[in-house]
Amino acid sequence: MSKHKIDITKNVMSKIKTEQIKMKPKWYFLFGSLFIFLALISLIIVSIFLISLITFSLKSHGPMGAIRYQQIISNFPWWAPIIVIIGLVTGIFLLKKYDFSYKKNFLFIIVIFISAVLFSGVLIDILGFDNLWIKRGPMRKFYQQYNGDYKQEWNNNIINNGRGRRNFQ
Amino acid sequence: MKDFKKLTDEQLVKLVRNKDQELYQEIVIRYQEKLLRYALNLIQDRSKAEDAVQESFIKAFINLNGFNIKMRFSSWIYRIVHNQVMNEFNKNKKELPLLDNIDFDSGRNLEVDLTKKEIHEKVNKCISKISIMYSEPLTLYYIEEKSYEEISDILRLPVGTVGTRINRAKVIMKKICQNIK
Repeated sequence: MSKHKIDITKNVMSKIKTEQIKMKPKWYFLFGSLFIFLALISLIIVSIFLISLITFSLKSHGPMGAIRYQQIISNFPWWAPIIVIIGLVTGIFLLKKYDFSYKKNFLFIIVIFISAVLFSGVLIDILGFDNLWIKRGPMRKFYQQYNGDYKQEWNNNIINNGRGRRNFQ
Repeated sequence: MKDFKKLTDEQLVKLVRNKDQELYQEIVIRYQEKLLRYALNLIQDRSKAEDAVQESFIKAFINLNGFNIKMRFSSWIYRIVHNQVMNEFNKNKKELPLLDNIDFDSGRNLEVDLTKKEIHEKVNKCISKISIMYSEPLTLYYIEEKSYEEISDILRLPVGTVGTRINRAKVIMKKICQNIK
């Protein structure tokens, strides 16, 4: 076992000494971790709002299933789930590629992630945050866009009064 | 250099990262033989095994700042070699050793017949005939003397699966070795 065709120690050390190979700096790994962390947080926030929006949209468009379905389909931001899928795939690829050191149960991470998003989305709906956000806060316009009743009333006000906001409560 | 021999792998890594990159030589010396033996058992081709180990040391050096000093360096470097060997398999689309998808009945009492020493010899003799799925945990356990926990870290498998595969490997190996004789 001791006789090698190639001298691994010599080869590796000569590459280090001649700087043919260099250690990636610490900031590279810090930045990588930070980037993935931020991407995951953003993904969670976007996904939570998406779930919340779907439940909110289902509630606010009356009892007619077919119309509700059509409205959701036509208004649905298809870019969002695409970004979620791309984000998840890329994130896992990067984690696997750059952090090849430790055991990670990616199936478990995905299941926990999706469960957390679904739970948070439904929780927002149950606690009524979506109804609050339609009236105030930075997400107001976002939610108003998906509120059929509001849109109809808004349009009626514009037609009747020429101004939308005045008579709307 | 003598003082460095007393240091743990993790302490040595810390020094390589922060003080003297040439100390990496000590790490290479510590692991060269072990990793070569491990790769050789998987790849069954000396020059490819040597290439895989050399490439692994290079990758480990490049990514040394990404290594978590609180973890075992040994598991980390074995994992890199494992990945390198798997890449080699994928690149060449080389046929894997025999019995890739064959499951045998769980080995009731069979392990009782085989002592660790006997298995050690049989592993060397029969390892090339067994699917890599079984031969790899077996090699790590009996030849590299890794614990189930470490094998679990290296192969990214649950500890229970590691145990199951090792038991199955023993059964498969016994059958194969008997047939060879």
